[in-house]
Amino acid sequence: MAQPSQATDGMDSVPALLQRNATRFGGKPAYREKEFGIWQSWTWAEAEAEIEALALGLLNLGVETGDFVAIIGRNRPHFYWAMVAAQSAGAIPVPLYQDAAAEEMAYVMDHCGARYAIVEDQEQVDKLIEVQEGLHQLEHMIYVDPRGLRKYDHSKLHRFIDIQQQGRAARHEFIDTLKARREKLNYDSVCVMLYTSGTTGKPKGVVLSNRNIIEASKSSADFDHLSRDEEVLAYLPMAWVGDFIFSIGQAYWCGFCVNCPESPETMQTDLREIGPTYYFAPPRVFETQLTNVMIRMEDATRLKKALFDHFMALARRVGPAILDGHAVSGMDRVRYALGHALIYGPLKDTLGLSRVRVGYTAGEAIGPEIFDFYRSLGINLKQLYGQTEASVFITLQPDGEVRSDTVGVPAPGVEVRIDPNGEVYYRGPGVFEYYYKNAESTAKTKDEDGWVATGDAGFFEEGSGHLRIIDRAKDVGKMADGRMFAPKYVENKLKFYPNILEAVVFGNDQEICAAFLNIDLTAVGNWAERNNIGYASYQELAGHPKVLDMIQDHVEEANRSLSQDPMLAHCQVHRFLVLHKELDADDGEMTRTRKVRRNVISEKFGDLVTALYDGSREIHTTTEVTYEDGRKGSISATLQIRDAAVVPLETAKAAAE
Amino acid sequence: MNDMSPDGYTTEDGRSIGPVVMEMRNITLRFGGVVAIKDISFDIREGEIRAIIGPNGAGKSSMLNVISGFYKPQEGEVWYMGEKRPAMKPYQVAQQGIARTFQNIALFDGMSVLDNVMTGRIRHMSSGLFAQAIWKGRAEREEVENRARVERIIDFLEIQHIRKTPVGRLPYGLKKRVELARALAAEPSILLLDEPMAGMNVEEKEDMSRFILDLNDEFGTTIALIEHDMGVVMDLSDRVVVMDYGKKIGDGSPDEVRRNQDVIDAYLGVAHD
Amino acid sequence: MPDQLVWGMEVFLNGLMTGVLYSLVALGFVLIYKASGIFNFSQGVLALFAAMTLVGIMEGRVPFSHLINATFGTDIHNFGWNVPAFAAILLTMAVMVALAWAVNQFIFRHLVGQEPIILFMATIGLAYFLEGFGDMMWGSDIKNLDVGLPQGINATIDEVTYEIFGYGFFIDNLDLAATLVAVLLVIALVLFAQYTKYGRAMRAVADDHQAALSVGISLKFIWIMVWSLAGFVALVAGIMWGTKSGVQFSLSLIALKALPVLMLGGFTSIPGAIVGGLIIGVGEKMFEFLVGPMVGGATENWFAYVLALLFLVFRPQGLFGEKIIERV
Repeated sequence: MAQPSQATDGMDSVPALLQRNATRFGGKPAYREKEFGIWQSWTWAEAEAEIEALALGLLNLGVETGDFVAIIGRNRPHFYWAMVAAQSAGAIPVPLYQDAAAEEMAYVMDHCGARYAIVEDQEQVDKLIEVQEGLHQLEHMIYVDPRGLRKYDHSKLHRFIDIQQQGRAARHEFIDTLKARREKLNYDSVCVMLYTSGTTGKPKGVVLSNRNIIEASKSSADFDHLSRDEEVLAYLPMAWVGDFIFSIGQAYWCGFCVNCPESPETMQTDLREIGPTYYFAPPRVFETQLTNVMIRMEDATRLKKALFDHFMALARRVGPAILDGHAVSGMDRVRYALGHALIYGPLKDTLGLSRVRVGYTAGEAIGPEIFDFYRSLGINLKQLYGQTEASVFITLQPDGEVRSDTVGVPAPGVEVRIDPNGEVYYRGPGVFEYYYKNAESTAKTKDEDGWVATGDAGFFEEGSGHLRIIDRAKDVGKMADGRMFAPKYVENKLKFYPNILEAVVFGNDQEICAAFLNIDLTAVGNWAERNNIGYASYQELAGHPKVLDMIQDHVEEANRSLSQDPMLAHCQVHRFLVLHKELDADDGEMTRTRKVRRNVISEKFGDLVTALYDGSREIHTTTEVTYEDGRKGSISATLQIRDAAVVPLETAKAAAE
Repeated sequence: MNDMSPDGYTTEDGRSIGPVVMEMRNITLRFGGVVAIKDISFDIREGEIRAIIGPNGAGKSSMLNVISGFYKPQEGEVWYMGEKRPAMKPYQVAQQGIARTFQNIALFDGMSVLDNVMTGRIRHMSSGLFAQAIWKGRAEREEVENRARVERIIDFLEIQHIRKTPVGRLPYGLKKRVELARALAAEPSILLLDEPMAGMNVEEKEDMSRFILDLNDEFGTTIALIEHDMGVVMDLSDRVVVMDYGKKIGDGSPDEVRRNQDVIDAYLGVAHD
Repeated sequence: MPDQLVWGMEVFLNGLMTGVLYSLVALGFVLIYKASGIFNFSQGVLALFAAMTLVGIMEGRVPFSHLINATFGTDIHNFGWNVPAFAAILLTMAVMVALAWAVNQFIFRHLVGQEPIILFMATIGLAYFLEGFGDMMWGSDIKNLDVGLPQGINATIDEVTYEIFGYGFFIDNLDLAATLVAVLLVIALVLFAQYTKYGRAMRAVADDHQAALSVGISLKFIWIMVWSLAGFVALVAGIMWGTKSGVQFSLSLIALKALPVLMLGGFTSIPGAIVGGLIIGVGEKMFEFLVGPMVGGATENWFAYVLALLFLVFRPQGLFGEKIIERV
């Protein structure tokens, strides 16, 4: 294994970085949050004071070195402070997904044996109280928002600001302990533990050290020349490694300001008001934004629409080239500038992306149409490939080498290799320490030399040296005739159509491929409105013959595109159906990060899978669903199964050659 | 029955209820020959959630309109804060601190959510027309203070995301919430809710119940609400008045009312003689 | 032909300034229409009445002198004093507020909830009444009004444009002053409507009476306030037009010019009234200048109406009118 990297200038922990920032540029804003309609802000010095007060309060409450502190809430400065305060006090912060059900939370809380939980509000407190019986180690809960909690028993329940107040009051008593605990932190001590949602099995606790977080943050910040003046909007789940790297790792390393939205619903408005310079969003967010733009353009006046179409065509032609610094004729530059004044500028402003200098997307493949749309507007949107186990970064796209179908070159300090059966491996300073209380999985994932298996299949493209990811390694299967079956690749092709929200493709050990589809209610609903198609529910719209016709067109177009790729032409979708319900994390059909759970789905909808392959024209089915409030119910429907035209393989081969 | 001392009582969940703020004494309301309310008396105490229930056409809405001054009873007296209320216009009643919502929602559709809620502050904004027109400083300060209070309510009712949206474009459930926000912005001594759950689905009803309980808890607001959905009301209220055909047939805690034979008959539709 | 172009610019500027005055009158309509749904036909007469009252007060005329003299055989016409312009304007405003109160008390209070056409008819009646009442109060002679606004050609503009174009523009100081006043008035009104308690109450009353009552707004107060505001706007318009062409019956006809402005701008939009006024002002002057000579002139009389008609056909809600969106 390579020599472990060492800390620069003694910056060997997140609390150390906090001290540095508070001393060196204490007056610069570190956090902003919109509350009561106004952006409130905290400088680095103020943030340090808040964090210290909380850390003292935690010590006062009896936090010991090595204790786990669960953190459950949406992106708010308080919870970022909680993460750093926990580490300062010698404990290990464990952020959890706040929309997780009580049982899911119970598993994680029990697994790490958290003694403390810092949570947002009544909702989270109720969830923990519900599962408290099984959590013998949980001692204290601290909440931020007191609403509705007044009448609760406060013997083990505390208000965030009270804990801070107690901490300030007991400063003289605990400040030495706090200093000593902070001193003890080093590059090898644990910075955070993050649970991966995992497509199968129980979540695993990924232990990341200060070295992992700081090295990954440092090299990625250098890669994109991030500075102290960046502005980011923190809106992605705090339990996700990306948010930890962007909003704590890089923010503390560079010293830039983290902005928290007022509420999840106001995110778009807040984005506009902040105008971040460094922005991350999963493909889904970009897709939704684009869909909204297109819907609004449908309703715009003819003049506006004509202008939009004209200049977007221009942008598609020359925009990416201008962004990448390639040669573009002077005339086109002038026209692009005019387009910027009339269309691109206002549009970027509406999207809240007018100041974005570095934008990233990752997690899923992004549709080339969507990717190009943003790049043609002059937004430097790039792709990266990462994992929790890598402290995010495995590969990144350098400026000027950006494409929608690759994920870039290995991140600085990271080595990547492809093993003979196509699986991608990496190692580097960001590689996690171990899975908590799961030596078996640790050994399976990370070998003695520090190489980590990604579980993804991919290859390095000849010429550019960029990595291309095809699918999950375990999902890549074989069809009946032994040829490669890459479901995700096909699903992504289908999902690039705004009308298709989700796709699940089957074909393992089968003669042909077939698919389940979910329509996008916003996009299709809007289309229905314009075409005077009435509908009362998702189910009704999903079963409408005209909708099915439209979806069939999409599937056939995707087939034509697939037929161009000699490796995957045989994966064309022969038969499909549109599901009568949306796939939902609450029903266990998807992960919280919205990845489809293939096994669960094929088991739950077994009758439908059979129907796809037995040639039926339609099938009646009943499915159990869980409502938002946790109640169960069932819906039944009769679904049509459609045959889609495919390009015969011989023709495809001829065309490809 | 709870201890009905003049100073109030303590509820089972430990909230202390204050003295009587409003008392209806022998109210009778007629429309021409039709008697809508017949000789009804009851009181509302500070800090309590008081419900008026009854089958459709029992006269609940009429009673609410009497309290808010939209209807003037032919007989009977309204006592408010220990004084007999003289004949008043609805806007004067509102200025006295009695805010209300409407069963069919009465919002200012052309105005934004924020502006709608701000109108609720009108009774607290004291600078006169001329001050507003010329004395910019003071009017501005007042505007800012009131805006801050309104923002608290917007936050409380979780409608931040529609702050700038014209009300006319909102779906029904959110409109109901905006109307509640506007009434709450008045910081009323009594908040009258006219069928707050009407036309809502189960989930929306649960949300609305939570808001009503929370705002009573958080701001100590006295609430009088009318509803015909018995289940919701029983969970929510401290005391319940039951009306049927314009008459009061029951008054007491939800449990007492549930056991009351007249109430059971009225709800089970026993024939009236 | 450069001369043509330069003249065109001058015409354009003059049109802009006429337009400002149209806007001002249209504003009065919009205010009342927005707050009470009444299309106030008497707005023009209101301007005439305000101007007459102002002149009357300034010159110290005795109101109803004809009536008094005829009844009592006296011969009094004048108090024998002159009131300074500023004080006279304040007094006139007081009269307009009293008028607003009276209009509400004696007419519209009794018509609450009536059909719009009934309310409109009532304003026609009011217009005729006010016309006669004004004459009776102050006499029907043509009066000169001078509140000290600058008048005559603006020398600076004349010189500057002469330097640049070799042709001095004729821009009247009065028009400049009127523009300035109108712009300030409009800004003040918009701020008032958007950001003050009473402005908000005014919009609230326009939207829903029941809801307005429930938050403690007195409808009567708002209606009197709105009529007073309309009276104030009418007074400003009356001063401008009165100073320009004398206080006489024709002043009330400017209301007819405001109609096409409203059709263009939308009946409920304050910015609409402004932009509409400017378009009509510039449009009719430019049309007269460019097309007028070919068709024998006098196009100013009908241009605005034809334009308004086109709008009615293609965009009935006006430029800024609210598109009516109803959700079910």
